[in-house]
Amino acid sequence: MTATIHVVDDDEAMRHSLAFLLKSLGHPVESHDSAEAFLRHWRPGLAGCLVLDVRMPGMSGLELQRHLENRGNTLSIVFLSGHGDIPMVVRAMRAGALQFLEKPCNDQVLLDAVAEGLRQSLDAAAEWQQTIDIQTRLEQLTPRELAVMQLVSEGKPNKVIAHELDISIKTVEVHRAHVMEKMDAGSVAELTRLLLESKGKP
Amino acid sequence: MRLMILILLCFTFTVPAAAAEVRVGVLAYRGAERAEQDWLGTLAHLNTSLPQHRFVAVPLDLPGLTQAVEARQVDFVITNPGHYVELESLFHTTRIATVESIPGPSPGMAIGSAVLVRADVPGLRGLADLRGKRLAAVAPDAFGGFRVVWRELLALNLDPFTQMDTRFLGFPMEGIVAAVQDGRVDAGILRVCLYEQLVGEGQLNPDHFRILSARHVPESPCLTSTRLYPDWPFARLDSTDPALAKQVGMALLSMPMTDGQGWTVPVDYQTVHELFRDLKIGPYEHLTRRSFTETLRDNWPWLMLAALGILWWVVHVARVEYLVRSRTDELRRAHESARRQRDEMEHAARLALMGEMASSLAHEINQPLAAIANYARGCQRRLADGSDPDGVAEGVGLIATQADRAADIVKRMRSFVRKRLPEPQSIAINDVIRDSLGLFQVLAGRAGVDITLSLADGLPMVTADRVQLEQVLLNLMKNAADALAHRDHRQITVTSKSAVGGLEVVVADNGPGLPPDALAHLFDPFFTTKKDGLGLGLSLSRSIIEAHGGHLWGENRPEGGARFHFLLPHAEGPKP
Repeated sequence: MTATIHVVDDDEAMRHSLAFLLKSLGHPVESHDSAEAFLRHWRPGLAGCLVLDVRMPGMSGLELQRHLENRGNTLSIVFLSGHGDIPMVVRAMRAGALQFLEKPCNDQVLLDAVAEGLRQSLDAAAEWQQTIDIQTRLEQLTPRELAVMQLVSEGKPNKVIAHELDISIKTVEVHRAHVMEKMDAGSVAELTRLLLESKGKP
Repeated sequence: MRLMILILLCFTFTVPAAAAEVRVGVLAYRGAERAEQDWLGTLAHLNTSLPQHRFVAVPLDLPGLTQAVEARQVDFVITNPGHYVELESLFHTTRIATVESIPGPSPGMAIGSAVLVRADVPGLRGLADLRGKRLAAVAPDAFGGFRVVWRELLALNLDPFTQMDTRFLGFPMEGIVAAVQDGRVDAGILRVCLYEQLVGEGQLNPDHFRILSARHVPESPCLTSTRLYPDWPFARLDSTDPALAKQVGMALLSMPMTDGQGWTVPVDYQTVHELFRDLKIGPYEHLTRRSFTETLRDNWPWLMLAALGILWWVVHVARVEYLVRSRTDELRRAHESARRQRDEMEHAARLALMGEMASSLAHEINQPLAAIANYARGCQRRLADGSDPDGVAEGVGLIATQADRAADIVKRMRSFVRKRLPEPQSIAINDVIRDSLGLFQVLAGRAGVDITLSLADGLPMVTADRVQLEQVLLNLMKNAADALAHRDHRQITVTSKSAVGGLEVVVADNGPGLPPDALAHLFDPFFTTKKDGLGLGLSLSRSIIEAHGGHLWGENRPEGGARFHFLLPHAEGPKP
């Protein structure tokens, strides 16, 4: 998976010079002159780091951050601001920003922050991908298989499951085998872990 | 005249010189014979009373008599009161007796004039009616025959020589009566009592004539038109022997009445003096021909006053001139200093404008600096790992570009705040608007304001100072941007269009508009609604526009927001 650095700044010189600097990290760099332009390229689960100017005409950096929240964003966000005030910083950090840097900033701090952002984003993107996979597998199950899987994950023996669902033990065994196959789980313990991981995620 | 005197002298030699001859000059106004006849009784009485002397009458006309008195060729004179007064003042002639007529007027009130007019001529009642009329008299130097009337006319502000047609017909006086009767003249001057005498002799019908301003005085039996004066005097010269004079005087006073005529003690001739003084003739002729020194002597206080007045006037004029010059200088200096102060104030306002926008200005300068730093660090890293030599070259080029950009911002800023004198030149307003917008964007940075220009083509040029106009535009745009600080959608529109006699520029915003109570004070110095404002921007903007012959005003837009307009007259000369 490739991680890309996204620079969003309305000032052309700033945008261009940041891209020039960040290219030295060896990652691909994409520049966008507004939040709206960036959103046209964005999709959930991307790996990378977003270097975002706070103050822009149109949608501001903070507004973009709020927009991305809960929409499957896996990009780390490093804010750059000409003059940040404390409430602004607090809001950005609470919403999950990785760093809030004031311009002009120490290049090393920026590069470190972006490198860290890239790392975190790769993990986050991988995790997001996994969740998406489990979700895909779950979607392949029939309702009867889902019910059997639920009871299996609760650790109930086939006999009890057959009784609860009012089906034969033989049928329970067939469903169970399908579940294990579709979910790509080698054991009940693995199945339980997958289900836990998928809980609470989109 | 001399011939006459010679003849007289010859005549005297023919008489045996048994007794000393005493010469009595008599005024012969009606001819020598008549004169001699007139005074025959008196002369005879003197010769009788004083036999040791032989009294001879020497009849002379007025100038001849004056000459004889001057040459002391006579010892005594009998003349009219007017002539006597002249002789008295010129040659110290002294009266010793005055003619007395019985019956007749009193000797002090014997001479006067009656002005005769025909009864059938209408509109002639008094002497005042004589204006512009034909007036006849015997002679200009006749006393009772002209001068006494002259005095009365003068008292009525009538000049017989300029305001009426006065003719002198000469003696005898009966000729005047004839002229009046024939209608050759409107009025004629007769001595008093001649009228009554002619009427008595039956030569005049009183129904046909009238006397102007006629009145009676108790001292005189006759009608008169004038005041009355003393009768003829008998006078001695200053060279005459006083003893002889005394004897003659006594003889005259003792003379019995002859033909109703006698002599009495001399009367007062003051009234004659007054007449002469009024007419400024005779002894008082100097009153009309005054010498410069006399005038100076008589009027020195007035002349001194006039001289002082002229001196004062000269000093005043000089002082006024001096004051005008010094005040003009003062005014010029005051104008100069006011202009300098305004320049200073404009400069201060530009600095203040910069100050108000300092943070965005810092941001704007920071942008290229930050970019330079980024490029430099990027280059450093590339050099360190030697991976991307092309990138390093690109980065260095970009650093130069950004350094230029920063320098440009600083340059524009400095030229805006630089202390300078206004330099009016012919400029295109649209260029000024675009430049101001550039400067505004530098100053206001990315305030998130959407600025729209709506500039008309073919606008006339204006004669103006570029920086001053930029200051006005920047002020208006800055005010608009400040008004928009709390708006989501921030819109400023700058419009230029042609107007009557010039062009109009409008800076409009979609902010909250001007508060009603602020509208009246917008252009007052130090009036501000901003917490960090100086309150000079609009006040100075207006004075700048007015100094360019234009007008600046502000109003609220009907659709919301505020709008500021200014009008500028187009430059003299043809459109470019």
